[in-house]
Amino acid sequence: MAPHSPGTDQIDTLLWIGFVAAAILVVAINGALIYALRGRRGRRGPEPREASGSGRRTQLRVGGLLAGFAFVVFVLSVIYTDKAREVPGTGPAGLAAAHSKPLQIKATGQQWLWRYDYPNQAFSYYKLVVPVDTTVELELVSTDVIHTWDVPQLAGKRDAVPGKVNHVVFRADEQGVYRGQSATFSGQAYAPMRVEVDVVSPRAYKAFIEKQKTEIQEAQDRVVGLIEEGKVP
Amino acid sequence: MRERSRRAPAEVVADGYPRRRPRWIEIATSADHKDVGRVLVTAALGFLFIALVELLLMRLQLAVPENSLLTPVAFNRMLSLYGATAIFFFAIPLALGLFYYVAPLQIGARGTALPRVGQLGLWLYLAGALVLYSGFFFTPSEAGVNPLAPLSELAFLPNNGVDAWAASTGLATLGFVLVAIDLVATLRRLRAPGMAWRRVPVFSWAAAICSWLLLAIGPVMLAAITMLLIDRNFDGIFFADGSGGAPLLWSHMSWIFFTGAYMLILIAALAAIAEIVPVFARRPLAGRGTVIGSLGAIAVIGTLSWMQNMLTAPIGIGWMYFAMIMSLALVVPFGLVIFNLISTMAGGELRMRAPLLFAAGAISLISIGLAAELEQSMVAVAWRLHNTVDATAATHFALVGGGVFGGFAALYYWYPKLTGRTMGETLARFSFWTMFAGAFLAFVPLFLAGDDHGQVVDAYKFFSGTGVSAENLIATIGTFVLAIGILLTLANAIASRTGGARAGHDQWGGDSLEWFTLSPPEPHNFDVLPDVRSERPMRDIREAIAHATARSEAAPRETQPVA
Repeated sequence: MAPHSPGTDQIDTLLWIGFVAAAILVVAINGALIYALRGRRGRRGPEPREASGSGRRTQLRVGGLLAGFAFVVFVLSVIYTDKAREVPGTGPAGLAAAHSKPLQIKATGQQWLWRYDYPNQAFSYYKLVVPVDTTVELELVSTDVIHTWDVPQLAGKRDAVPGKVNHVVFRADEQGVYRGQSATFSGQAYAPMRVEVDVVSPRAYKAFIEKQKTEIQEAQDRVVGLIEEGKVP
Repeated sequence: MRERSRRAPAEVVADGYPRRRPRWIEIATSADHKDVGRVLVTAALGFLFIALVELLLMRLQLAVPENSLLTPVAFNRMLSLYGATAIFFFAIPLALGLFYYVAPLQIGARGTALPRVGQLGLWLYLAGALVLYSGFFFTPSEAGVNPLAPLSELAFLPNNGVDAWAASTGLATLGFVLVAIDLVATLRRLRAPGMAWRRVPVFSWAAAICSWLLLAIGPVMLAAITMLLIDRNFDGIFFADGSGGAPLLWSHMSWIFFTGAYMLILIAALAAIAEIVPVFARRPLAGRGTVIGSLGAIAVIGTLSWMQNMLTAPIGIGWMYFAMIMSLALVVPFGLVIFNLISTMAGGELRMRAPLLFAAGAISLISIGLAAELEQSMVAVAWRLHNTVDATAATHFALVGGGVFGGFAALYYWYPKLTGRTMGETLARFSFWTMFAGAFLAFVPLFLAGDDHGQVVDAYKFFSGTGVSAENLIATIGTFVLAIGILLTLANAIASRTGGARAGHDQWGGDSLEWFTLSPPEPHNFDVLPDVRSERPMRDIREAIAHATARSEAAPRETQPVA
């Protein structure tokens, strides 16, 4: 899965660093274990000497080595995590109106669907439509249980917790459809609770917002009409 | 009874002890730490079997994409039952049962300090199991392994499943705390003469560390469970959003317990391995003090890393870095323990018997699981891998390595002491290699599915076209292989109970005092309390006996030479 937003580059890099760090530990420990198990077998004689590595100095050396390893991993993690948290500015191909600050969209998790509230009273369910090359800030909230919004190609995952606001920032660099999946167990229809982001040109985005607004208005008018005609109790 | 009534009443009772009650009544009412420990271990192994069945059902459902073998509700029930069974009714009680059986013997105590408290602990644990599985026949919990609020609130799961879950895990946790209280008191007050803390064996040190850990984390879980029950049954608002409640409160409290329990399982396993390795390498444990100190550090630092599970929650970047620092700091104590275990093996004279084989397998699996956990704790990485099956694989490598491989190593090692018989060696080898291959087949594909394709955890199905079909099929096959291996050892334990070769009091040539007692020990453990003079009292006793025997054999030869 190729990254399509500045923050995900950094996550990918740190993922590799983490993999290398884990691999070093696994290879070192298992290599030493196999070497140790190939040693002398069951000869009865005087008891073997105490292990040479039992002295205090060896313990300090090994502990220091491990601490150094942990420290390097820590520093790299902080560097790349901070980079991944940087809010990128909207690019030249992005939505003109959003140059100064990110395009803010409210994402509401509910069992088992995401609702997106765009600026200008438009909203959509299931599918999020955003303009390309534009910094988008999602405000994650939930109306029922904890959900996790996750589209790996665009951003790191974040939880939508009832009563709290969480944020996801991304800037998609290419038009297309990006998919993800809600990632916190949320009840019966958790498995099919998916996330879909449609990245389009700024013009298409504006058209989409207008279309949603008119359709929502039409639907509301129809409901009001039905009520006035007395067809709905 | 009838026989006795037919006979005339005896005037003088001189023929031995009064008649004992039936065996099961003796065991069920006994407050002896050995009986309680044996029941804990037996029940834990029984629940291992049940957890396996539940796991296999879930893996069958996930064998192929969009499978409809289990309904979503049935899957979620299996998931919730599996989590509770594996953690509360298998892994923790197995560790505690072994501690409770072995630690008093190792420190030369004739019993525990508060036997009735420990016995009550066992009963509460069994009562918890009864509640969980009587709930099974009605409506088990559907709230997942850790029933995160507010999903576990009445508004979202209105049947009694979550109440049954909360009551059962609460009873079990209270039971563990009581057993821990007894262990702490015993280890503090009832050590044999000369058994200073610096001479207490590693496994008994671990018993003390884990008991204190349980005294710290158990009440947190009990409080959380009580609050959940109040929320659900008495209109409480502890975990409800708005009006003063906070859903994240449950996350914090439950993760403190689960993370601490994770550490407890690993500490118990590593401590058991630290008993096994020196005996089967015929040399003292390298860096004994460092190992003990490291196990203590793991308990403290490991539990403090609980927010590692909440790196995607709205908790502030400072807390995330705090959790990461704690998780990364764990490299030092875990690394030191493993270093000393391996350096004890290297250059020793190894007897590759079942306990050492399982111990080596446990070290291997634990190292893989912990390395993957290390990667998961790096904050930005967690934003990618959190709640993917990659995390499942990491947890299962570490906990199957610790709880099952480490637990089986301890079982093979102490089985002669528990029962007076040894477990079959050939079957043990078959079991080990099947389990070892099964574990890799089962969990490595999950690393790939989670890392490359972001497959999420806890989901009752996955979709075709997401690129994880092959991984999941292999994982299902691997889980079956792992299960067969586990069943071989369980069968071995059952068969050896009556059919195993009789064991001597000192089956392996151990250095700690449990090998000074009979196998199984008499109710009072020790006829004579040894005077402990070193870290290896049993070795001192063996040498003293050998010395005395050599002298007594040498003496007649001087006066009466053999022709």
